[in-house]
Amino acid sequence: MSSPDESRIPTQYECTEQLVQTTPADGLIVSNLGVSSWILSKVEDRDRNYYMKGAMGSTTPMGLGMALGTNAPVTVIDGDGSMLMSLGALATVARESPENLTIVVMDNSEFKTTGGQPTLAADASFHDVARSCGLRSHSVSSRDEFETAYESAIDSTETVLISCAVTSSVPEEYPRPDYSHSYLKHRFRSAIVEGE
Amino acid sequence: MEWEYSVIEALQRTDIDLVAYLPDSALSDLIDRVEELDGIDTVLLSREEEAVGILSGAWLTGRRGALICQSSGLANTFNALGSLSKPTRLPFLGIVTHRGDLGDHNLAHTAAEYPMPELLNTIGIRNHCLHDGVDVEQRVTMAAKTAFSQEEPYVMLLEPTLLEGDE
Repeated sequence: MSSPDESRIPTQYECTEQLVQTTPADGLIVSNLGVSSWILSKVEDRDRNYYMKGAMGSTTPMGLGMALGTNAPVTVIDGDGSMLMSLGALATVARESPENLTIVVMDNSEFKTTGGQPTLAADASFHDVARSCGLRSHSVSSRDEFETAYESAIDSTETVLISCAVTSSVPEEYPRPDYSHSYLKHRFRSAIVEGE
Repeated sequence: MEWEYSVIEALQRTDIDLVAYLPDSALSDLIDRVEELDGIDTVLLSREEEAVGILSGAWLTGRRGALICQSSGLANTFNALGSLSKPTRLPFLGIVTHRGDLGDHNLAHTAAEYPMPELLNTIGIRNHCLHDGVDVEQRVTMAAKTAFSQEEPYVMLLEPTLLEGDE
């Protein structure tokens, strides 16, 4: 039996699995609403995961705020639709550039949560936008490339953005985490803020 | 005492340590002074909506944040207020200049900003208008205490009568 082609475009599940394996145990992960959160919760439902349930376009700003409040590594799993909605946030992030922040944009060039309609990401480069804003950036399109880029991002002394091409996922394969807004908030904050 | 000093006293008294902002001419002295403070970090925004995410993320990791902007920028935050701050009860203090009313020369500020108290009330974000002649430090302090103890945003709207009082 031949080995799988490691140069193919990976699935978002594979990259999320790799991401969770590489993220240190004390690392915070904030994931975009919809598919990104559903996949993360299926890979591993950690207390230090924060699943966005609304506010599309605010996932990367949430990660920036977290990175300004903790020394632990903070990873954003954003989607291409959400990132397009707030490209200006990359300029804000670049100016702060906290060393513990990594932004992964899972780019399937689709609004997967609303039915797979195309986004404008097919014609836009998050890699180039991030670099133009002054951020260190990588563009990857295989699982091996993602692994290498994410490991170096976790060790970096500045914020790194990784634009990761992924295949279209099937939302129905991922059960939605059945958590209320308030439960998620208290679970996450209690894991990080001692004594409260 | 200038209102800017009163706001800064209130921020410090309530342990606010992170301020996200976009400039307004009426806010320039306040922002300049906040940037000089040792105990408060500042983040210059590209768009005010980012502040809801930034200040929420910061609170989730133990900090206390404030947004300083003008009311046109507050209008830019409404989806994030309604779909993040409100349902999740994530607090921050808003220090917002209220455009579109007394003395305003620009009609562009009127439609979405004159009714800002009603707009905020409609989505359940509490707010308070600060006119001249009131104890600014006391009221901003009370708003911040309410925001962070009840875990909800609280917006203070700085009225033109207050802002013009020290010109």
